[in-house]
Amino acid sequence: MSVSPSLLTRRLVVAGLPLVAVAAPGLVHAAPAPAFTARDMDGKARSLSEFRGKTVVLEWVNEGCPFVKKHYSGNMQGLQQAAVADGVVWLTIASSAPGKQGYFADGAAAKSWMTAKGAKPTTVLLDADGTVATAYKAKTTPHMFVIDKTGAVVYEGAIDDKPSSKVEDLQTARNLVAAALSDLKAGRKVATPYVAPYGCAVKYKDA
Amino acid sequence: MLIKRFVATLQGVLLAGLMSGFALAAGPVQTGHIEVELVAQEAAAVPGGTIYVALRQKIQPGWHTYWRNPGDAGDATKIVWTLPEGWSAGDIVWPTPEKKRVGPLLDYAYTGQVLLPVPIAVPADARPGSTVTLKAAAAFLVCEEICIPEDAVVTLDLPVVAGMPSADPKWGAMVAQTLAKAPKPSGLKAVFAFKDGVLKLAVTGAPLKGADMAGAYFYPYSAKVLDHAAEQAIERGSEGLTLSVAPGYDFTSGTAPEQVSGVLALAGEAFEITATPGAPPASAMGLGPPPAAKGGAGSVGLATALLFAFLGGLILNLMPCVFPVLSMKAASLAGHAHDAGKTRLQGLAFLAGVVATFLALAGLLIAVRAGGAAVGWGFQLQSPVVVGALALVMLLVALNMSGVFEFGTSVQGVGAGASGKGGASGAFFTGALAVVVAAPCTAPFMAGALGFALTQPPLISLAVFLALAFGFAAPFVLLAFAPALLRRLPRPGPWMDMLKKGLAFPMYGTAAWLVWVFSQQTGAIALGQILAAAVLTAFSAWLYGYVQGRWIVGKTAPIATVLAVLSLTGAIGLIVLTLKASPPVAAAASVAATPAGPGLASEPWSPEKLAALRAEGRPVLVDFTAAWCVTCQVNEKVALSSPAVAQAFKDRNAVLLKADWTNRDATIAAALAEHGRAGVPLYLVYPARGGDPVILPQLLTEGMVIEAIEKAAS
Repeated sequence: MSVSPSLLTRRLVVAGLPLVAVAAPGLVHAAPAPAFTARDMDGKARSLSEFRGKTVVLEWVNEGCPFVKKHYSGNMQGLQQAAVADGVVWLTIASSAPGKQGYFADGAAAKSWMTAKGAKPTTVLLDADGTVATAYKAKTTPHMFVIDKTGAVVYEGAIDDKPSSKVEDLQTARNLVAAALSDLKAGRKVATPYVAPYGCAVKYKDA
Repeated sequence: MLIKRFVATLQGVLLAGLMSGFALAAGPVQTGHIEVELVAQEAAAVPGGTIYVALRQKIQPGWHTYWRNPGDAGDATKIVWTLPEGWSAGDIVWPTPEKKRVGPLLDYAYTGQVLLPVPIAVPADARPGSTVTLKAAAAFLVCEEICIPEDAVVTLDLPVVAGMPSADPKWGAMVAQTLAKAPKPSGLKAVFAFKDGVLKLAVTGAPLKGADMAGAYFYPYSAKVLDHAAEQAIERGSEGLTLSVAPGYDFTSGTAPEQVSGVLALAGEAFEITATPGAPPASAMGLGPPPAAKGGAGSVGLATALLFAFLGGLILNLMPCVFPVLSMKAASLAGHAHDAGKTRLQGLAFLAGVVATFLALAGLLIAVRAGGAAVGWGFQLQSPVVVGALALVMLLVALNMSGVFEFGTSVQGVGAGASGKGGASGAFFTGALAVVVAAPCTAPFMAGALGFALTQPPLISLAVFLALAFGFAAPFVLLAFAPALLRRLPRPGPWMDMLKKGLAFPMYGTAAWLVWVFSQQTGAIALGQILAAAVLTAFSAWLYGYVQGRWIVGKTAPIATVLAVLSLTGAIGLIVLTLKASPPVAAAASVAATPAGPGLASEPWSPEKLAALRAEGRPVLVDFTAAWCVTCQVNEKVALSSPAVAQAFKDRNAVLLKADWTNRDATIAAALAEHGRAGVPLYLVYPARGGDPVILPQLLTEGMVIEAIEKAAS
């Protein structure tokens, strides 16, 4: 599990932001996604770079969090299934530290939870030391990122526009990840690139 | 069946009776980690008015709920109201939250007990005499390490009345306090500028001039404008401050907002601000960061409080209720100047008596406050029974000084009273008695220290009381340990008997004053009772003196002894009886309505009355007072009742409001706490043009009051 962000590119882009903002508003949100490598639930090392050329969704998870439970009432599984069917790579990331809520001791634990929920992401990444979460400044579960084929973050934040832990709110909420994915699919600029994430705090190891 | 129906009817009747009387919450609901209920500021709603109803959350230790912007994670409390036709609820008035660090994240949260007040508009056609039910479905996320969403449906039955409703007896003061402390629009000017990756937020305005800016923090309403977890660097200026904060998504990647609003919190106060784009003005910077608090702001405050408490204790020695007792004790010490061991023992015993009594009083006060009662220093004098008993104790001390009888079984002449172990225990009880009688004479220095003490954790409170005890005992202990000083006192002799009898009169005076306080608290019937009790006490003391005289010549006087015991019992009985006979509240109201002196009439204080007068643009002086507070009485006679003051009030169209704390009153206690006080007196002058009140010193002069009123009117 190591993070090797292409620092040079990042710095250049960040430094150039104000200029870009004036010149080409469409590119404002195209912050490059920090690279990472992490073990998945089968024990395999997975890197963001291996998915270059594909749309990637990152989903922060904590199976005990009421907000996560709300979305795993069917909503999240449906999204995962539809996205994967469309050729999108869906990485569910568990960053809870050992001893904290949502910690998966091993891949088998993650798998049995997934099976029980009928979840269908591409895979689950085990990030108990919080390396990937720190690189992305993940704050909540769920906290969603949509990365386009060029490796730029085109959506970050809440999964939908109804911050609550109540299942019934799903009916009236607008799903922002689904919206971003369909914008990408249609070749449009993502209309809503950021909404403050909501949910439980990511259970980082104690500082 | 019949019985069942009867019981149901009875319940209905009782319930209706209760409801027409006051707001009736259905009782707190336990949701798992929170106890939640609806509480109202006033006991009833008024047609066409607004009543604040608060959702009270009592949160389990270690858990927290969230502010309107929960910060990096979490979810704010939500309330969905179900109200009668025509009634409507406004937005929650969010109290300033706490910063709650969770690993690398920062949340804005509430712990312990929090009240979330909501203004409820009452329709003009609400029918007085009816009772309405307000229903709130509250949903909140409560988190410790993990988070649990909890729900509660809570109701409040609220009677509708015409005219002025009274404050809710249980929660009114706390709702009022929450509202008073909540961030308010302040007329502060705020601008923001984003440059070189830093968001600068500059705030200027009169309320910030000279304000304590250590720990200043900006809580944004939007979760997108700044990085919650990053430090906010403070730079002070002549008229405000500039915060340098790490920007949030809106500035780093999104579209810069047209305005940034939120709460600027300083130590003890908070302002609602809305910043617009603009360069920080020069008056918001240039003075560097706030001075680093040496050892934390708390300990600086503590040192000052300890010093003032010590000084206050010293000054207490000179008060009319204490001085005679102590001066006689000191004079008796002089007779033993040759025996250093004995005088030292007495000094220490006296110290022990003072410390033990102060700590006992402080412990009791802390315990009572921990139980939730809004009491402050002098609370022991808010009970008429205690005042009555104290009056009798003073009378006994005075009679003793007059030579009617002697304390103790062995009869000792003046100056010989401090021999052997009897001297030590005598000194201990002199110390205890001195503290008990000193309470009404709270010296000016003590008020601030005690106010500080009672807002602190118990250990710090006790430290302040300990400093007070040491200050109080210091002169006597010093004398006891310095034979050189003792030798300078005049030798004991017949003059001492004369002095003693003379000093009895301040004690009679104190007793008389306590009787007056007692009559203020109770009424004419009880006054008769205490006067009768006083006569019986004196009779008993005289008989006891006679019995003592017989002992000296080796004889007994059984009849006189029995009579003495009987009449003392009767005196105590009369005092206890007044407990039942007296309606203290009505008496307090009549006190409040009496004019402070010739010409200047006062009106009873209430937060609503104050707000109404301020809305009219009139300058207001609020006099927080109590019949048992000597300083208050002196100020009222010396500074508030002269014709010149009355004329100044008349000329400036000013009003004197009197908050009478003679009896316990939660609203007044809350108002005192708001200004960092635990006792009276407190004088607040509210300027006609609005803004914060000016606090006048605890010892007033006529000129001071007139000047303050003129300033407030200009």
